[in-house]
Amino acid sequence: MIHIENLSFRYKNGRKPALDNISLTIHEGEFLGIIGGSGAGKTTLSYAINGVIPHHFPGDFYGSVKVANTDTFDTTPGRLSLKIGSVLQDIDSQMVSSVVEDEILYGLENFSVPGDEIEERLLSALEAVGILPLRYRAIDSLSGGQKQKVAIAAIIALRPKVLILDEPTSELDPKSSEQIFDLLKELNEKYGITIVVIEQKIMLLSEYVKKLAVMDKGRIILSGNVRDVLGHSSELEEIGIHCPRVVSLSNSLRDRGADVGGVWINLDEAEAGIRRLIYD
Amino acid sequence: MINLQNVSFSYNNEKVLSNISLHIDKGEFTAIIGSNGAGKSTLCRIMNGLLKPSSGTVTVNGMDTRTTKSSILARHIGFLFQNPDRQICKNTVGEEIRFSLDIAFTDKSMIEKRLFETLSLFDFDADSNPFHLSRGERQQVALASIIAAEPEILILDEPTTGLDYVECMKIMSIIKKLNDKGITVIMVCHDMEIVLDFAQRILVLAEGRLIADGETREIFKMEEILRQASLLPPQIARLAARFGFDDVFYVDEMTDIVLKRIKNRRKRTG
Repeated sequence: MIHIENLSFRYKNGRKPALDNISLTIHEGEFLGIIGGSGAGKTTLSYAINGVIPHHFPGDFYGSVKVANTDTFDTTPGRLSLKIGSVLQDIDSQMVSSVVEDEILYGLENFSVPGDEIEERLLSALEAVGILPLRYRAIDSLSGGQKQKVAIAAIIALRPKVLILDEPTSELDPKSSEQIFDLLKELNEKYGITIVVIEQKIMLLSEYVKKLAVMDKGRIILSGNVRDVLGHSSELEEIGIHCPRVVSLSNSLRDRGADVGGVWINLDEAEAGIRRLIYD
Repeated sequence: MINLQNVSFSYNNEKVLSNISLHIDKGEFTAIIGSNGAGKSTLCRIMNGLLKPSSGTVTVNGMDTRTTKSSILARHIGFLFQNPDRQICKNTVGEEIRFSLDIAFTDKSMIEKRLFETLSLFDFDADSNPFHLSRGERQQVALASIIAAEPEILILDEPTTGLDYVECMKIMSIIKKLNDKGITVIMVCHDMEIVLDFAQRILVLAEGRLIADGETREIFKMEEILRQASLLPPQIARLAARFGFDDVFYVDEMTDIVLKRIKNRRKRTG
């Protein structure tokens, strides 16, 4: 679905490359989490996938990015948006309307969705994100978390093949964050939508995504299934990535002689592992 | 230090805070937790006098916030906004910090001394443009300009949102050091691991009401209260609860209890 080959990018006037020789393949139907510290290049990589780079931000671009067999260099972010829905980190810069309903209608109308389908798509998007009661609210009266939900609803209403989200839960409380990830999981499993999500909350990611890519200084330094990546917890700590505490628990028990098997990546695995240790 | 007596607050007839009474003493480290829209940011603004209660009384060091100017209260309370960009107004980091120092102090040598100390504490280049810095760095600039003025109370509205782990720990360790020196800290936070590691007391808000107020570990044991506030306890506490282990919050505590159970099982099975 997304094929990145030897991609390097340096912003105009940038001292160092923001992306440094990245190669990454994301298959159709994957649910990938991208993690890394501030300035690691995560947002820039998302821009390279949705075509904002090289079309919007000038700079030196090497290598290639293909989305559904289309080279992003040969198309426009507008055309790419028919395939890829993006939820930006800065939600305010994404909002174009003053009322919640209009924000969702804007995309639907611009994508020429048939009139009789629009109302159904609007309602199902609002409902999926849990903001149906906010339909007629003014956007500037919403909290940061509520705005994040509006932005996500506006994108999923367009039913893209790929969804790329840059820290979609940064302003959300734990319950709402889980709600957003439950929704992403459903979109991924039920509709086969490929999902790429940049997220600082690794504990949350490891409960949901199947694969992780770790970025540091513009490079992808680790990628693979969640267990393999979190198995490198000491390397991750070195670049400032803090693993979920159940990972530390399995390491701590192993270091003190318990046979934990592999690393535990989420609550359910930790529970099963401990039950095996103390009851079997 | 801060006292709220039967405080309610409404925005355009919509009740945001409902009959809140609480007292915060000098040197406490208190976290305010609750879901989006529970009234956390409003409570912060009520505490520092930016908002006046619709009913009830708020006093800061004995001063009623309704009759005391915000500028006077600001000498006692440093307030960090959720979004640093609402706060930063100068073109260099040095000017930004000096801006708050010029308001707080009249003695020139004191201003220079505090500027130097603050720049070194955060390891900042005074000439850098705050708007060219990352979100995490801008958050630090905003915090630096507040603590430079040496307030007795710090109110922080989600100081770690949008930061990576390293930035988060840098900010939290600075806040912790200030608290160790006796500065009162009140912090809104969505990250329950940070709340567990740093706060001694938790205020739980749900739909504008204060539904619990107590010691951190005690609050994290109140599953029903947390559920009402749409919150979840820290990860290890949730895991421990699945086994009925009481009062277990940290990896070390969980490791000990699991190893003990393994040993007991071996003894039983001989």
